[in-house]
Order: sequence, then C-alpha cells, then structure tokens
Amino acid sequence: MAETTTEAKPRKLLPISQPISVLPTDVARIYTHIHPILILSLYYLCFPSLVADPVTTLKQALAPLAHLQITYCVVCLPPSKGSSTSPSTSSATPKKKKVTFAKPIAKPPASLKSRIIPAVFSLFLSLSLSAPLLTVILILFGAPLTTHFWHNLLCATHISLLGVLPLFYVHGVDARMWREISGACLPFDEVWGGLVGSILGAWLGAVPIPLDWDREWQKWPVTIVTGAYIGWFVFRYAGGYLLRGKRIEFD
Amino acid sequence: MEPSNGLAAGSLAFKDVTVQYNSAKERVSQDGEIQDINMRKEIQFKASHVLLMGFFLWIFLLHAIGIYFFTKGFLLTRLVLDRKSECAARPTELGNSTPATFADGCWHPKTFDKAVIIIIDALRYDFTVPFSGEPHHFHNALTVLDETARQTPENAFLLPFIADPPTTTLQRLKGLTTGTLPTFIDAGSNFAGTAIEEDNLVAQLRHAGKTLVHLGDDTWHSLFPGYFDADLTHAYDSFNVWDLYTVDNGVTEHLLPLLKPVNASKWDVIFGHYLGVDHAGHRYGPDHATTNAKLREMDNVLREVIAMLDKNTLLVVMGDHGMDVKGDHGGESDDEIEAALWMFSKKGIFGRGHNGFIAPPATAKERPVSQIDLVPTLSLLLGMPIPFNNLGAPIAEAFVGSGEPDWQNLASVNALAAAQISKYQKEYCLARGLDDSVFSLPQAFLKSGFQYWQDGVQSNEGSGLFASAYESFSRYQEETLQICRSLWARFDIPSMLQGIAILSCALAVLGSYARSRSMDAELVPVYLAQMTIYAVISTASFAIVTFGIFGNGIIDAALLGFATGGIFGFTYASVNIPQSFALPFPRSFWGWLAVVLTLSQSIGFASNSYTIWEDEILLCFLSTFASVAFISSMRQEFFVERVLGMFQAGIFLVLNRFASLSRLCREEQMPYCRSTYYASSTSSTSAPWQLLIPIVLATLLPAIIKTYYQGTRSYQGAATLWIGFAARLGLLASAVYWVLDAADDNDWIAKKGVLQTSKVVLARLLLGVALVVGTTTFVWSNPCISIEVTPGLDASADREVTPKPKSVKVFGYANVHGTRYFLLVINWLMALVLLQKPMGAGAIGILTIQILALLEIIDTNNLSQSAIGPVILGLLGSFHFFKTGHQATLSSIQWESAFIALKTIRYPWSPLLVVLNTYGAQILTTVAVPLIALWKQPPKKPRLLGDVAKALATLLLYYATINLATTMWAGWLRRHLMLYRIFSPRFMTGAVVLLVVDLIGISVSIGSLRWNFASIAEVFGWN
Repeated sequence: MAETTTEAKPRKLLPISQPISVLPTDVARIYTHIHPILILSLYYLCFPSLVADPVTTLKQALAPLAHLQITYCVVCLPPSKGSSTSPSTSSATPKKKKVTFAKPIAKPPASLKSRIIPAVFSLFLSLSLSAPLLTVILILFGAPLTTHFWHNLLCATHISLLGVLPLFYVHGVDARMWREISGACLPFDEVWGGLVGSILGAWLGAVPIPLDWDREWQKWPVTIVTGAYIGWFVFRYAGGYLLRGKRIEFD
Repeated sequence: MEPSNGLAAGSLAFKDVTVQYNSAKERVSQDGEIQDINMRKEIQFKASHVLLMGFFLWIFLLHAIGIYFFTKGFLLTRLVLDRKSECAARPTELGNSTPATFADGCWHPKTFDKAVIIIIDALRYDFTVPFSGEPHHFHNALTVLDETARQTPENAFLLPFIADPPTTTLQRLKGLTTGTLPTFIDAGSNFAGTAIEEDNLVAQLRHAGKTLVHLGDDTWHSLFPGYFDADLTHAYDSFNVWDLYTVDNGVTEHLLPLLKPVNASKWDVIFGHYLGVDHAGHRYGPDHATTNAKLREMDNVLREVIAMLDKNTLLVVMGDHGMDVKGDHGGESDDEIEAALWMFSKKGIFGRGHNGFIAPPATAKERPVSQIDLVPTLSLLLGMPIPFNNLGAPIAEAFVGSGEPDWQNLASVNALAAAQISKYQKEYCLARGLDDSVFSLPQAFLKSGFQYWQDGVQSNEGSGLFASAYESFSRYQEETLQICRSLWARFDIPSMLQGIAILSCALAVLGSYARSRSMDAELVPVYLAQMTIYAVISTASFAIVTFGIFGNGIIDAALLGFATGGIFGFTYASVNIPQSFALPFPRSFWGWLAVVLTLSQSIGFASNSYTIWEDEILLCFLSTFASVAFISSMRQEFFVERVLGMFQAGIFLVLNRFASLSRLCREEQMPYCRSTYYASSTSSTSAPWQLLIPIVLATLLPAIIKTYYQGTRSYQGAATLWIGFAARLGLLASAVYWVLDAADDNDWIAKKGVLQTSKVVLARLLLGVALVVGTTTFVWSNPCISIEVTPGLDASADREVTPKPKSVKVFGYANVHGTRYFLLVINWLMALVLLQKPMGAGAIGILTIQILALLEIIDTNNLSQSAIGPVILGLLGSFHFFKTGHQATLSSIQWESAFIALKTIRYPWSPLLVVLNTYGAQILTTVAVPLIALWKQPPKKPRLLGDVAKALATLLLYYATINLATTMWAGWLRRHLMLYRIFSPRFMTGAVVLLVVDLIGISVSIGSLRWNFASIAEVFGWN
C-alpha cells in the first residue's frame, strides 16, 4: 500500500496565482512608468552621501522611499481583496480550485480611502515583518554579525520597501498566497519581478566588495543597496513585459 | 491535513513484506534457482566494482601526470654553477699587488680570525628593538642587541635582515651560506635536506683549514655533511616543534665552555643554531608568555657570550626568517621575511659614517640589508674569498670604520664583491647560452665605479670620489640582483601547457562520464579495454621515439604517451558506443546552479581578491544553495515533506553561518578579518573555553545523528552500537585528548612526561579504533534494520509445517543503503575530529550535520541524480577547509598536528597526519559522497552502483575544475606580483586536494561499497 507513495516523485504545489495588472486608469498607466524613474532619481541623488555616510543617508531616504512606494501602490496597483474574501484555502484539494486572487483585468478602484489603508498596512508589515527577516537573511549570507547592525537593518528595510511592500499590497496576508510567494512560484509581473530583481541585484551587489580597488563605494552595504535598486528597476520591466506570466521552474 | 500525509510518513518507518516473504519461502523450498541467479549477480557486481575502481585509478593517474607536467615547468629552476672562488685569484686587483694568502686575508685584509655565528631561528626584527606602546609578549624581552648597538656603536650594529622567500630554514641556510637566491623547487625538500654543491662560505672556511664547530639544528648536517669537527659538534633534531628546550639547552651547554680562553685554540668558527624561539612561535604563537621566556633566555645567553668574547672574535647573531602573527613561516609576508642581524666585536671597528644613524632602525622598513649580504661581509671580514655564486653586497656598517667614514675601504670591498658578481654573471650567461646584453645596464654602473676608483686613487682628496665609486658598485649589485631574480623566474611553457592539456582532457573525460546521460557504469569495461590498449601502444611508441631520437626524458615521454593514449582510447570508445552521445549539459535549474557556482568560483581565482576572500565567497554560495533549497521545499505539496525540507534547509543555512564564525585570517585579509580559531590572533593555542567544543560535540552529535536514523526507523542493530556507544566514546576521547594537550601547554600538571605519553597513547588508540577496527567492523556489519515477525495464529496447531507468519515487517527498510554506509562516515569523523584543534572539531561536527541535512534536502527534493548534491558537498569541503583553521598559504599548515599521535617525526605517519589535519573537511565530504546516491534508496534499486560512481565522479569534477582553474591562472599570471603569495599557494592547495580526494574516493568511497552492497544483498538478494 505504501509502495506507490514512497517511490513516486514528491508532488509539487500547483500554483494558482495570476499575474497582476496595473489599474485600468490613465493615471495608473502613466505613473507606473514615472515611478521607477523617481525612485532611481532619488537613489542617484542620494548616492554621494550614501557612500560618505551610509547609515544616515539610508535612514533619511526611508521616508521618501516609503512615500513613493505607497503612492505607487495606491495609484497603480489593485489592492488585495483582504483575507476575508480569500476562498477556503483547503490545500487538500488544490487542483479543484479555480480561484484567482488578483484578476487579470482589475476593476476600476473604489474609493481612495479603501486603497490608502491597505497601503499603510503594507508599509507596516514590510517594516515589521520582512525587514527583520531580510536582516537575518543578510547575516546568514555573510553580512557582519557583531558590527554594522544599522547598516544591515537599513539595507534590509530598503529592499523590503522596494520589493515586498507592493507584494503585501496586492496579495494581502493570505496564507496560501504567501506559501506560493515563499515557494517563489508566482508568475512574473511588475510587482513580483521587482522583488526577484531586488534580491537578485542585492546578491550580485556583493560581487565587487572583495576587490582590492580601494574605492569608497565598495564599503558595506553600498553595493548591496545599489544592486537591489538596479535589479528592482530591471526586473520590474522584465517581469512586466518580457517574462510576464512565466514562473521560475526548478526541475 | 492531507490524508496521504499519514501514508507517506508511515511508509518510511517500515515495509510490510509479508507477501513477498511468504511467496519467496514457497519458492525456496521448490528450487535452488534463486541462489544461482544471486550468485551470478554477485559475481557481476564484484567484477564491475573492480572495473570501476580501475577507471577512477586511471583518472587519478591522469590528474597526477597533468599536475606533474605543469609543476615541472612552473616551479622555478636556477642553473647551479660548480665553479669555486680561489683565494689567490682576486676578481679585481685595484692596484693591490700583495699576494693573496689565507694568513692576511685573501682578497681583502682580514679583520677577525675567529667568529661565533649564532642563529636564533625565527628572530623577527621587532623582537629585538624597544617598543614603547602597549607591549606584546615578544616585545622588550631580548634587549641586549639594541642596547649594545645604541651604547657602543663602534662595537655593535643591529639591522633588519630581509630574507628571500620561501622562509623555511633549509632555504634560508642555503641563502645565508651561498649568497644566492633560492628557487621554489627547493621548498619541497625541507623534510629531507640535501648537501649543498655550490660554492659557499662554510666550504671556503673548511678549505682554508679552519676548524668548524656546529651546535644545534641538524639541518646543517644534511647541508654540509662532514664539514664540522666531529668531537666538538653537537646536532639536534630540528622538526620536533613540541620540544622547546632540548636544542637550546644543548647549544648553550656546549657553546659557553668553548668560549673559555683554554679552549680558544680548539676552534675557528662556531655555528650555533637555536630553535626554541621558532618552536615557541609554532606552538604558542609569538604573543605568548613562553615566547617571552624564550627570548629572555636568549638575552641571558648572549650577555654571557659577550662577556666571554675575546678581541679577535666576531660575534654574529641573526634570525634566518621571521614569523607571522601566529608564529608560522614559509611564505613571503612582511612578518615572515623581516629577521634581525646583529654584529658585535670588542675591536670597535664598526661605524655608521656612511649614513649617520647611530640607533638601530625602529622598524624593519628602514635601512634593511638583504640576507645574502651576510656572505660577502663575513667572507671579507674573515679573510676568505667571496663564494662564486654570491650576489650580495658587503654590509657598509662593517667596513666603513668607526671614526670618519673610510670611503676607500668601503669602495674597495664593494669593488671586490661587484667584480665577483660580474665574473659570475659572465659565466652564467655562457653556461646558459644567454646574450651578455641582458646585463648591459648594470655593466655601465660597474664601469663608472672603477672610473671613480681610478680617479680617487690618483687625486689626493679622493674621499668624495670613493664615495661615488661605492655608490656605483652598490647600484651595480642591486641592478644585477634584480635581473637575476627575473631571469630565474624562467618558466618552461611547453611543459606547463602539456600539463594543462592533460588536466583539461581529464576534466572532459570526468565531465562526460559524470554528467552525460548516455554514459553508464556498465560501459566502464569498454572504456577500460580501449584505454588500456591505446595507452600501452602510445606509451611504448612515445618512449621509443623520444629515447631513440632525443636520448633523454624517457620517463616523461612514457607518461605523456600513457596520458594521451588513454584519453584517445576513451574518446574512441565513447564515439563507438551504441547510444548516441549526449553532451553533459545541465538540464534543470539545479544543474545550472551547480555549474554556475563551480564556474564562478573558478573564474574568481583569476583575481587575487577573490582568492583571498574564498572563505566568505563559499559561505555566500552555500547560503544561496540552502535558500534555494528552502524555497524549493516550500513547493512540496505534502506537509511532511515540505516541513522536513524546510527544516533541513534552515538547519543547513544557520549552521553554515555558525561555522563561519570560526576563522583564521590570512595576512591579506587584514584589517577586515578577525581570527577566532586560536586564543588570540597572535597565538596558535586554543583558548580554554574552546576546550568545551569537543565536549559539547561528544554530547550532542551522536544524538543528532540518531535523529536522522530514527526518521526511517533505522536506529537498529549496528547503528545503536556505533552511534550510541562508539561515536560517543570516540568523540569524548578526543575531547579528553585536547584537555590533556591544554594541560601540557599551560603547565596545569607538573608531570609532563606522563601527560605526554598518555596523550600520545590515547590518540593512537583512538585512531586505531576509528580507522582500523572501525573499517573491519564496517566490513562485517549488518544493515541497520530489524525484522519483526508476527507469528500466525495457527502456529501451535501444526508443528510439522512451518506456519505462515501473519505479518513480516522490515524496520529501517526505507534507508538501508544510506544508514549502513553512514557508519563509515562516523569512523572517519572520529579520526578527523581528533586531528583538528578544538575549534576545528566543532567545524567538522557542523560539517557532519550539514552533510546529513543535505542528504535530506536531496531526498525530499528528489535530486539524487542531479549534479547539485556532489557539488554542494565539494563546496562544503572547501568551506570547512577554511573553518578548520586553514588557508591556502604555506604558513597556515598546522605542522604540529604531526605530533598528535607521535612523539618524533616518523615516516610515513607524520606527513599522513598533517594531510588528514589539513584536508580533513575535503576527506570527510569525499567519504560521504556515495550517500548522495544511496540515501533513502530502495535496497534493490537498479544501477545503484553506477549512480554512486557518477556522484563521486561529479565531486571529482568539482575539485578537478577548481584545480584546472587555479593551475591555469597560476600559469597565466606567472609574472604577477602576487604569484608566490597568492596564486602559487592556491594552485598547490588545489592540486594536493585533488590528488587526496581522488585517492580517498577510490579507496574509501568506491572501495567500501563492495561490503555495503554485499551486506544488504545478503538480506534482500542481489539486484
């Protein structure tokens, strides 16, 4: 009786998530292109002082970044339906589910208030949940453990605001959804691409650190943050257009 | 929860084989055919097992031949000229027509008749000068040198004394007596020194009829056999680094009586070689009270010697090299090359007139002299000819005179040295067939030097002209030395390319065998047949052709022929196999991850920065794998598998970072790195708290391993004894060993002899149990299963016919192969933990848990066929190489590990212990690699042996790629400034790792499978 289960390949989760589309309003369609430019300009302006004094600069840049990201969410993205609307996530019967969390064509947004509150809530979550988690991950990957605490935390917070905040906004806190997110099986779209890009960029950002070029910008965590911003920018577009709908496959 | 969860979990625990059992029973009673089939299968298995070992042996030979050819061309060679300098034949007359005799001094009037030359091994310059900041233990302990040089500058001077790397004693003694540069090829012969054939100071002294006495380090006797007065000489074993006193006490005991006036006529030159400071450095590091005590002892001895010295005797004290912050040496870091030189005489002839500095330089960066400068200095002071191959210049302080600077004398000694160098250089060009124009630039300096000299002699006020002559001669010597340095960095490019070509082909062979779908273990006989045929043919033909035509290098030709023939045979066989040949490219994300990690590490070795920071890069790579594994495990549909995968990935990730806290920084990593491996960054002993690590390990590790067995109910039979008892006891024994060792180091117990004996006995016992008894038991052990038979209800009714049992359950069925094989890993674990320092034992323990976690990750994500498993094992091996207190530098080799189970050097055991210590992590991962294919596989899985072979081949592929990359980069960057500091040591590490891993792979990983499979087949039948 047990034979079939032991020797069969372990079964994989079947992802049910769908790519997110920008809200069907003109403002949203325009702002979704202005937003990355604003973010990168902010980063570009901050760069010299980031190199000079990372902690202070990263701290000061948090508020503008959070504002921009919230504005982006409110203006461009469909808010999550909230966990109340999420269907019964009995994972025992995943195949039967035909539920979509964010419909490919979202309805025009309701009231502004119903969008601002989830956005602020997402900010709260990305600051309190994902930022500490990302700090731990940074340390696990070799970031200094006993020193540079603020560097690590602020670096993680930037990645979190950049990549995770919109994800909270569009997907809410639904358990099934977050299982898919932690399994990295979301389809590519602007939001998911942004997170993948910022993490990939941060990873690649570590590459120049060991080089003996003796440049100021090689210091921790300048390159990581830079990588995250550039990666976010690139993959946001790649996810939105080139890779849209594709999923990361392991096997 | 899913209903299937229960099933998945239950199936791991046991297998119900009632049906098979009953039907088999019936069949057995019917016919013996099954036994025949089994027998045939067993023979088949044994044959393919032997062939597989043959295949891997061939891979090993290819690697060895490739490395041999590259090394032959890469390590520098210098042509040794046999000519000797003659007393009567001055290289230049300088208008001096007095006949040259030993009595007055051959080339230059002699200053001293006798000399006492004392070498304090590893006397670093900063040990000798006062230090005003917060002193370390090594500061301000040996003060006599600075004191005398400061107070009586005409009697003494103290200077930094820069060694030419490699900074090993044997190499340094060669440099200090011949005055020429060492070449790298000699570095390997430190363990067995050979006599110096070149012209040298000791031979010149002997030739002049002087009575030479040697006391101390016996390396001198291998270099100068028969040169020393047999009655007065006393030599002591030099490699016994645990012994800080025998050599030093012996030297002092015999030195002081000789200095008494009654014995003055018995000798002319004494060479005393103290080893205590060096050994204290090796054992404790410079910043340790013992080093301080040792330096103070030297201070006292020197004061006594000074007091007893007569006017005609020169006293020289020097270090042959320095030591790095941990007290080791061999490389070319500043701390290792900066030794001290101090000369003293009561004649009062020394001066500083040429530069005006009275006090010794505060750091070794100011006014240093080169170690080869000692040879012309001593030769001329003692009235000897300068040895023919010398490239050094006389040290100005010894010739400039105590009053007004005597520029004429200074210029004349430099003229002699320069003229001798010029003679040598002409001879060398002739012998090597070089064009003289190579040296045309320095020749101009020589010419102008003689011009100034002539002018100086003719004019009355020649002082300034002599000073200019001195400048010119010095410049000539410096420039010539530069040119010689670059000349001797001559590489044999064809030989290097041959080596690289063979290694590349071996890599291609391994790659196609390990990763191509069409290759299989069953094809090995075909390969072996073809390879053997072609290898034999081409070995013979190459050998005959080379022998016939060129008349030399027959062995090299045969090796080259063997390698190319075999590779050709393999290619021929691969092309001709029935299945279409598939290129070994990765086919999944995991495969690509394995390739990207291996290749990016290999590319990184082209940069000195990435080579320096390899440990941190490996940490990041392994964390990347664990994170991806975590994400991948999240995708599991079933709760049990998902949680198991996530949990193991999490453990892997956290332990990885935890292990990374154990660091031993190399010099280039400073100041961004803090060593934690030893008590402090300037010591090489463990801190007392670190002794807790092996104890914690002995308590926790067996229990943790047990949990991995319990998951499949495999904690049965042999496993209980092995893990619950033997491993616990073994790990505890090594904890005890390291406590005893610390007691010995820190003098906790007065009875030193008892302590040392019990330490060595304990270590030998443990190694014997782990490797000899352990392996024997592994051969005979049963699988870790238990079979539960519930008798049928009608058992008592009929005794004639054996009743059918109601149920037969095999506990531990799900992981029969893996759990049994892992017992072998435990054996090696016990041996390797003992051979590491306490911190390293912790790293090896973490490595073991990481291996187990990796196996679970591989299993839950169904990756046993993927390249990622073996590659991650390889990365783990490389990573923990650093975490067990090693670096890819010569000075980080923990030589003292040779004494863990031995009191003196014994071949081949001492080098073997050092290898096990250095490459412990790589060895453990290689021993564990079959588990990638075996873990949780059904007992009769088809082609399991082939899977194991492929896993091993993939691991070798990883190490071979790293080796090829480091080899190519070292060859390509052969003119790089950092060649000997960074690229060359990394190449050597990679090469040795590859060969060690090859051998362990053949003898342990593949070799032991025979018994593992046989033992399982005994229960379940052959497949």
